[in-house]
Amino acid sequence: MNTFFQLTRRNLRMFFKDKGMFFSSLITPVILLVLYATFLAKVYKDSFLSALPDGLAIEESLIDATVAGQLISSLLAVSCVTIAFCSNLLMIGDKASGAIRDLTVSPVKRSTLAFSYFTASAASTLIVTFTALALSLVYLSVQGWYLSFLDVVCVALDVLVLTLFGTALSSCIHFFLNTNGQASAVGTIVSAGYGFICGAYMPISNFGAGLQKVLSFLPGTYGTSLVRNHMLRGVFAQMGSVGFPEEVISGIRASIDCDLSFFGHQISIGAMYAVMIGSVLLFAGIFVLFHIVARRKAIR
Amino acid sequence: MENIIEIEHLNKCFGSVKAVQDLSFRVKKGEFFAFLGVNGAGKSTTISILCGQLEKDSGKVYVCGKDADRAIGEIARKIGVVFQNSLLDRPLTVRQNLQSRAALYGITGKRFERRLEELSKLLDFSDLLNRAVGKLSGGQRRRIDIARALFHQPEILILDEPTTGLDPQTRKLLWNVIDALRQTTDMTVFLTTHYMEEAADADYVVILDSGKIAAEGTPLDLKNRFTGDYITVYGEREAFDFGYPTQTLREGVRVCVPNTAAATELILAHPERFVDYEIVKGKMDDVFLAVTGKQLSGGNEK
Repeated sequence: MNTFFQLTRRNLRMFFKDKGMFFSSLITPVILLVLYATFLAKVYKDSFLSALPDGLAIEESLIDATVAGQLISSLLAVSCVTIAFCSNLLMIGDKASGAIRDLTVSPVKRSTLAFSYFTASAASTLIVTFTALALSLVYLSVQGWYLSFLDVVCVALDVLVLTLFGTALSSCIHFFLNTNGQASAVGTIVSAGYGFICGAYMPISNFGAGLQKVLSFLPGTYGTSLVRNHMLRGVFAQMGSVGFPEEVISGIRASIDCDLSFFGHQISIGAMYAVMIGSVLLFAGIFVLFHIVARRKAIR
Repeated sequence: MENIIEIEHLNKCFGSVKAVQDLSFRVKKGEFFAFLGVNGAGKSTTISILCGQLEKDSGKVYVCGKDADRAIGEIARKIGVVFQNSLLDRPLTVRQNLQSRAALYGITGKRFERRLEELSKLLDFSDLLNRAVGKLSGGQRRRIDIARALFHQPEILILDEPTTGLDPQTRKLLWNVIDALRQTTDMTVFLTTHYMEEAADADYVVILDSGKIAAEGTPLDLKNRFTGDYITVYGEREAFDFGYPTQTLREGVRVCVPNTAAATELILAHPERFVDYEIVKGKMDDVFLAVTGKQLSGGNEK
């Protein structure tokens, strides 16, 4: 246990010593938030208003809160994974510098080494993603606050699960990379593509039926839906209390992926958590297995 | 003396390149063992296999009687490695580096502090503990590398070209420390080096060429087998014509003879010419040149 603790501490120290990487990771969600609020908020708002039935009166702050909730849920869903890819670089750095040889020449178990990389990477990513969450909540409070304490706790849990998912996934992919250049290329591809396939940039409900079925196999989709459900629960409750017809609320929920189905079966919030936690365990397990197999291969 | 390392018929290829070919040798406990070869001869490949960091194609490796295929974890506890280049974390301090590396062997808390104090005195780096490794000079960093390798008190210290690029003072300090440790702890030292004078002090030498053993033996044995003796006659100005190659020096003449017996015979036959003279054996450089056809000195083979 001491070995694991010391290795994790070493990995965290290495991460925070690279101040450029830490601050660039930290500033990414801030830039995204500013860009979203500046360029996309109006588009989302117009789109939302045009979808409402004629003659339905709605408070300005409720519209703003809905739009902001959708924006920041997208931002958090993407950031948790892309930031993990950007900050989970120490394992590659150790290969590039040769430090991995110094670590593996010792009797340390490969599983301990793998867990220490995973834990340190998850911890450093969590610092950034929770900072992003705090900023997002500040933005939401300015636009219109309808969240309960439980909603905030659930959103924090979603961010935690999504960050662990991003860390586990990036660990598996980064295991095969040897240089920071390769990691940078992978990070660019993930940053560009992940937002689309997880339903953050565009709701999956906008895609064709075939593509929707394919995307329903990807765990990230459920992560986005979790954040969106919890970010907008208060808004939908408020809509119901001010007399919005249930069909309209259901329509909005479906249009922004709050309600997801898997081959016609509605997926509950509990099932979404199960998918995400299962994916974290699966990818983390695969990552540890990669390390163990690599060790066995080396001594065969 | 018991064998502490046994390597039998070791083979390793990288694609079509045969890095190590049917390599077999033994290292005795407490011995100072030197592994010589030009770059690409297979030294580092052998060390990587020995440390469980590289997959071998065939052959057997035993360390402290344990089969490396089955007990690499146990073997790793008995080996300390100083790599060619420092592999410590440059942004972290000396203390932080040693703390994380010591934890790999389960050395933490007070045990860590005690051992750190011992080693910092032994290797004279007490004043460097809070400095980042990346800001140390080459010699200072090498001392920390050696401390890292010695932290868990290994039975075998593997030194992979440890003194390349170091100043003479630091080289001397490192060898003094290693000699002292060998005397007090019976530690086995497995050295690869480009410095022939370091190999000359070894108990046993294996010369590797293109992945195969080209020659092996004690330095004396190798010198006797592969080089002649040199008689330097001081004050002589005239060339000698005794049927042996001669070389004119600033202070005299050097005669190359096949062996010590030939030198004795020559001196006894011509005592009037040998008034002020000395006989020295050939150097390890000459052995290496004779065995491999290559010159090796300070990392630059020709």
